[in-house]
Amino acid sequence: MQKINKNVVLALLSLTSLVFLLFQLYYYKFYLSQKNGAAFSKVRGSQSGQDSTRWHVVRKFLGLISSHNIQVYLIDPLILELVDKDIEQIRSSPDGPSPECKYFCSPRDFTTFALLDKTWKHEVGLFRTAEKMGFQWLKIINKDPRLDGMDDLSGIEIPLHYIFKLASHAIHLVVFYERSGNYLWHGPLRLKQHMDRKFVPFRKLHFGRYPGAYEKPELLPVSIDDLKVQIPKNPSRFLEEMSHSRFLECRYREARAFFQLYPDDASLDAVEFRKKAKSLLHLAALTLNNLRVKFWLSSGTCLGWYRQCSVIPHSKDVDLGVFIRDYKADIIPAFQKAGLQLKHKFGKVEDSLELSFQGEDDVKLDIFFFYEGDDHIWNGGTQAKSGKKFKYLFPKFTLCWTEFVELKVHVPCETLQYVEANYGPDWKVPVKMWDWKSSPPNVQYNGVWPVDEWDDVIQIY
Amino acid sequence: MDEWKPNPAAKPHKKRSWYLAWKYKLMNQRALRKLCQTGAVLFLLVTVIVNIKLILDTRRAAYEEEEESAQDYDDEMLNVEVPRHPVSNKKVLDVEVYSSRSKVYVAVDGTTVLEDEAREQGRGIHVIVLNQATGHVMAKRVFDTYSPHEDEAMVLFLNMVARGRILIFTIKDEGSFHLKDTAKNVLKSLGSQVAPFLSWRDMWTFVGKKGGEVYGEKHAKSPALSTWGDPVLLKTEVHLTSVEDAECHWPDTELNRRRKRFCSKVEGYGSVCSCKDPTPIEFNPDPLKDNKVFDVPVAVIAGNRPNYLYRMLRSLLSAQGVNPQMITVFIDGYYEEPMDVVELFGLSGIQHTPISIKNARVSQHYKASLTATFNLFPDAKFAVVLEEDLDISVDFFSFLSQSIHLLEEDESLYCISAWNDQGYEHTAEDPSLLYRVETMPGLGWVLRKSLYKDELEPKWPTPEKLWDWDMWMRMPEQRRGRECIIPDISRSYHFGIVGLNMNGYFHEAYFKKHKFNTVPNVQLKNVESLRKDAYETEIHRLLGEAEVLDHSKNPCEDSFVPDTEGRVYVMFIRMEQEADFTTWTQLAKCLHIWDLDVRGNHKGLWRLFRKKNHFLVVGVPASPYSSKKPSSVTPIYMEPPAKEEGAGAVPAVPAAEQT
Repeated sequence: MQKINKNVVLALLSLTSLVFLLFQLYYYKFYLSQKNGAAFSKVRGSQSGQDSTRWHVVRKFLGLISSHNIQVYLIDPLILELVDKDIEQIRSSPDGPSPECKYFCSPRDFTTFALLDKTWKHEVGLFRTAEKMGFQWLKIINKDPRLDGMDDLSGIEIPLHYIFKLASHAIHLVVFYERSGNYLWHGPLRLKQHMDRKFVPFRKLHFGRYPGAYEKPELLPVSIDDLKVQIPKNPSRFLEEMSHSRFLECRYREARAFFQLYPDDASLDAVEFRKKAKSLLHLAALTLNNLRVKFWLSSGTCLGWYRQCSVIPHSKDVDLGVFIRDYKADIIPAFQKAGLQLKHKFGKVEDSLELSFQGEDDVKLDIFFFYEGDDHIWNGGTQAKSGKKFKYLFPKFTLCWTEFVELKVHVPCETLQYVEANYGPDWKVPVKMWDWKSSPPNVQYNGVWPVDEWDDVIQIY
Repeated sequence: MDEWKPNPAAKPHKKRSWYLAWKYKLMNQRALRKLCQTGAVLFLLVTVIVNIKLILDTRRAAYEEEEESAQDYDDEMLNVEVPRHPVSNKKVLDVEVYSSRSKVYVAVDGTTVLEDEAREQGRGIHVIVLNQATGHVMAKRVFDTYSPHEDEAMVLFLNMVARGRILIFTIKDEGSFHLKDTAKNVLKSLGSQVAPFLSWRDMWTFVGKKGGEVYGEKHAKSPALSTWGDPVLLKTEVHLTSVEDAECHWPDTELNRRRKRFCSKVEGYGSVCSCKDPTPIEFNPDPLKDNKVFDVPVAVIAGNRPNYLYRMLRSLLSAQGVNPQMITVFIDGYYEEPMDVVELFGLSGIQHTPISIKNARVSQHYKASLTATFNLFPDAKFAVVLEEDLDISVDFFSFLSQSIHLLEEDESLYCISAWNDQGYEHTAEDPSLLYRVETMPGLGWVLRKSLYKDELEPKWPTPEKLWDWDMWMRMPEQRRGRECIIPDISRSYHFGIVGLNMNGYFHEAYFKKHKFNTVPNVQLKNVESLRKDAYETEIHRLLGEAEVLDHSKNPCEDSFVPDTEGRVYVMFIRMEQEADFTTWTQLAKCLHIWDLDVRGNHKGLWRLFRKKNHFLVVGVPASPYSSKKPSSVTPIYMEPPAKEEGAGAVPAVPAAEQT
């Protein structure tokens, strides 16, 4: 009898301490969720590896969104990575109940969704409902870049990001806008002075460090972890896109200053040339994109974008750059099929390759192939009559998206270095006389093609 | 350990024995005591560890947050918070009002809210409305009551002002010549003693509360016809009321919040701010079945005529098939009141810094608005372009939805317009009928994106060229032989009386009697016959069945057309070559239709209605349809009147004017 009592007492005692411990843990969690769930999720993660808070918050958020007839899709890279692994299975059983919580339960601070701006009507009601459901929310607005290019419109501010926070979990809703050039754009996340810098750990967000450009994704409705969500139909392509989605806005303000100094050429010839250059660029982009050859605006075209956000009317050609590793033998036939005849071909794949196509009337399309050196990137030039070779050196660069003449195209992210290498520190001053063999500060004499190779490396049509 | 309390729900005596047993065990069993002690120590240890971890984690989290606020995510622009001025609790406003021949001004608490000393401008009665709770200026108007009808506008305005508002009046130069008794009585009812006796070149100032007390009035009589009364300066105090008294108590909804914001800022919009029975600001017209223009952006081009904009947006938002999401109002200038109107209706508005002057300013505003529209809606193939002084027909979108595919498919089309230049009350009849015309009417039209982007935008007249955008668009270099589709009965109505190229007389002569469709869901007939070639077939069929009118009669006479209904008649006028409109202009003049330039023609053919009969006019021999003329008929020739009228008196008037 005594022994049993003893055991009972012991059990009671341990129960008490357990209750006390749990209380402390609860308090711990409560305290942290006030700020963010980071530290806590680690603790609990080590306990169970599951975070049902997240699942609940996501479910609540999806309920909120659907109650207002708003469509969002999942773009959380960490979840999409997991989803991508099981994509076949998820596709084949879109409605099946899932045995375990696999995607929405790994403990994270955020889940990221995308919202297409044109599919919703900025209703205030949404936020009121959100508040009723217990969400705290933050809206990040900024200037509308679609109107930024126009000097005299007071561009309205548009919402770029929303963050909905409940308990220890936050939903990051990225607003995507359609822009001319048939692509989607999201803005950078910049906090205004009065904003709560500690609302969520902003640095950990997957979107918002830079603005980004994306193709319009095809969506796939799926049910994962018993939650019905839309995801990009091809998650791996989306993730790949995301890794180099950084977008540069044209420097409209500087362009305006430039035109104040050097008024734009509004002559009929200039108008005509711009129109032709634009359509040639559109055709070239279409052709190269179909071949999946990555290209960027180079030389004069790049300068035009960077300096004045438009085609330089006296440049007389369109210049593109392509990494030699992306070279495909199909390029020439594809352009010929598109109606552009090869005008000349200098160099060879191993060295100083350069293609030139004849566009409508006098507009020429030059494609320069770029070779990677140890600490620089270079492209070559060839003088047809003498067989002399030239080398143009550029500091290393990566590629960013931008919008130019209603086209989503690449430019070097480090545009200033690129332009300065090519045109020197006075690139801001328009020059009509430009000798490609001597004017560029980055040109180097690179020997002469051996005469027996001339037939191959100097082809003029 | 002392946290633990026995179960209070247990029976007392049982609890006691249980407790005793426990105590006994604790006291007497050494081993157990030891165990308990160890347990306690362990427990303490765990607590300490957990606590230390808590502190560490919290500190790390705090540190991370510190880092997160690094510049990366800071807006590069320094948004310095402007400290808001503390709301003054002052209950009294000092008001100064000055009236004289060449200058008027109004100062409220030392701030000048009106000052007008420009020459040959601002004649008449200036009216200012103040909010009775805040003292803010809610409306500023000037009514040139030296000219006719302006007093009616003033009465209309004063009637719309809510009770309790503070009204300030002052006369500049002359304000009594056409101030009729009705208006004088209204002023009298506001408490003015002088108003009924105001006469030629008197100076007058008055401050009063609508439906309440009078704060002051001063008057200086003109001693003689040729001289003005002495300047008068009225200084008075106005007592403010509380904000609650100045506002209406509408139910708290999203719409009413917008309404409240609007009504506390501006005045002169009548029943929208009525406390008892406010007029709706959301209309929810019936959606259109198979609406082909639901996704077409609508650009509303506006200047600083907020009352016009208000009327325009009401009619636009009431049109069936409207999609408010696609509407953007472009305001030429940083005017607040038009923006308030836009926000009242929950639409989006964009302000545009004015560039250049007069017509070039309008033209630059158009360009910016169109470019912005296609930037904001990159998917759109078309844009609907409207102006702030148009009423929009209830079937405007239905009309466009039925015809827009033509603009997409028929390369020979330039635009679809809702306006028929020749569609007056007496010359338009059939709401289901469409025409092809060579002149672009504007006034509510659809623009193809490719036309704008590829042709118009790059060549758009630059600011230093003082061109009308619509005149420029009608030039052959731009139009390139293309045509516009218009309805017989217009789907828009031009109500603007004040404007850059507009005045009351002109409006009355050319716009007031324009026919405007009010029938919903009109099914357009024979839309396919509007295509380039099909239209020729249609015209030939029409001319084939048309009865030739008696060419010996005077075409200006009513009897020229028989008293029938539903027949088709044709007449032939002389038109030597393509640009010879001598006879047509005279005919247009006597038919009281648009005669300031040539409108509504298609290959030397005009189509209109007379006495409910379709009436065709063919210019011979320039028109290709001349072959339909019976050889016996001599085309009518009408001589232009002798020079006395002087062509110079005719203002150059674009149909689509603005500002």
